[in-house]
Amino acid sequence: MKKFIKWIASGWMLILFFVGFFLFWEYSIPLFDIPRYILPSPSEIVLKGSADLDKLVYYTGVTALETVLGYIIALILGVGFGIAISFSSILRRTLYPFFVSIEMTPKIAFAPLFISWFGFGLMPKVIIVVLVCFFPIVLNAILAFNSLSNELTLFYQSTGASRLKTFFSIRLPAALPQCFVGFKYAAINATVGATIAEFIGSDKGLGFYISIVTGNMRPDLAFAGIFFLTVLGLTIFGFVTMMEKILIPWHISMKRINK
Amino acid sequence: MKNFIEVTELKKVFGNGEDEVHAFGPATININSGEFVSVLGPSGCGKSTLMLMVAGLLDSTSGKVEFENKVVNGPKTDIGIMFQDNTLVPWRTVRGNIELQLELRGLNLKDYQEKINNILKSVNLDDFADRFPNELSGGMQQRAAFCQAMIHDPKIILLDEPLGKLDAMTREKIRADFQKLWMVKKPTVIFVTHSIEEAVQLSNRVILITPRPGKIDREIKIDLPYPRDLQIKRSAKFTEYVNSIQEVFHKYGVI
Ligand SMILES: Nc1ncnc2c1ncn2[C@@H]1O[C@H](COP(=O)(O)OP(=O)(O)O)[C@@H](O)[C@H]1O
Ligand SMILES: [Mg+2]
Repeated sequence: MKKFIKWIASGWMLILFFVGFFLFWEYSIPLFDIPRYILPSPSEIVLKGSADLDKLVYYTGVTALETVLGYIIALILGVGFGIAISFSSILRRTLYPFFVSIEMTPKIAFAPLFISWFGFGLMPKVIIVVLVCFFPIVLNAILAFNSLSNELTLFYQSTGASRLKTFFSIRLPAALPQCFVGFKYAAINATVGATIAEFIGSDKGLGFYISIVTGNMRPDLAFAGIFFLTVLGLTIFGFVTMMEKILIPWHISMKRINK
Repeated sequence: MKNFIEVTELKKVFGNGEDEVHAFGPATININSGEFVSVLGPSGCGKSTLMLMVAGLLDSTSGKVEFENKVVNGPKTDIGIMFQDNTLVPWRTVRGNIELQLELRGLNLKDYQEKINNILKSVNLDDFADRFPNELSGGMQQRAAFCQAMIHDPKIILLDEPLGKLDAMTREKIRADFQKLWMVKKPTVIFVTHSIEEAVQLSNRVILITPRPGKIDREIKIDLPYPRDLQIKRSAKFTEYVNSIQEVFHKYGVI
């Protein structure tokens, strides 16, 4: 509770900024005579959006499922490949450069293809989310598992411990901070991937909703959809950040920010 | 009788072709059990290379290392090792880091708790057992690392410039702590340093290494009683040792 108060106290400038931002938005609409089919006011978004609440909540669930499923699969694959590549010199010379070169192509460009291959269902969306999340996770994991200091490597070698033991006692915990850099980046990408996949071909989900209502000249509802998408994205990112705090409370960079 | 540690014609060349770097040797060194030997030389002369080869953590190009007549090929595990950059992990407390050494060796933590307390007390870290490394000063970290390197009672301790990054005052203090611990347990110590005073104060014998590729210029036995406190450091004999070593390195143009 004390922490919460402190957090509010330290965040008051941000809160003030947001309040100011929305007030400006609300009152500049009549002031500049902006038509509502171009940009609705926040109060109208809330009003019209709440009439459509059932649909919005359901679609949020649909998009959340695609995002979370894809993210978890990418996490497992990314860390798995990351570890395999850091421990095998053959994979390091084959798969790793392959991944690096694929990283350069915008993965989202594959989305229409996947939709045409796998149809309108859940699977193509999950695949696209996996695709946009996998690369930041795997590349950071490779970096993470390869950056153990020389001294620590020599130290554990001098103990004669098995590879398995040193992996869990030293390599894995040492790699977690860098892994989380990838996890967090991927968490931001995940909802983006799901939304664009839904734009391209779907019959439900927030991306579907936003593209339909925009086509119907209802920017108020589009903003309501964007709001739910933002909440979804923040929730996922917040969860990953929380896991980071639980798993690696010792991590210095976090301690510095908290101070 | 053969010596406890025998290093014979040991040599290391890194890389090959144009990138070849002759880092060390060939050199022959004998060390007795319980001896405190310093390896003293300018930076880049191959001291760390020598130490890693002795520990079996680096393959030599030619020559051999023997411990009690057994040739080293592969990492030696009955040693304690310490570097300029310590091997404390940030996610464990001081106690946890000392336990890491025991855990990796499959030793029973319960049997060692008393010992951990004692060794921490001997270096004045008993109040910091439950602190994390980043909450300690550089000097305290190195003391904790020393406890980590010593806790399993290794017969041989290899120290590679463990005080290299510390300020002069802290170095002085930790030197005394090291000496105290060494006098109790009498492990064999190979201490790599580029501080002449440090080498003279701590060692039974100082091995002077030439600039790269490091060869042995000479060995100097330090005939002073332990513990070597301030009084001994002020003595004429101590100064004489320091001066004679300085002269050697002056001749090489490194000081
Ligand atoms: N892994 C390596 N590969 C190539 N050269 C190395 C390697 N390690 C050390 N060297 C070179 O060998 C020489 C001796 O290094 P080192 O043993 O670290 O010296 P010191 O510890 O005395 O400062 C240096 O010139 C260094 O650049
Ligand atoms: Mg060195």
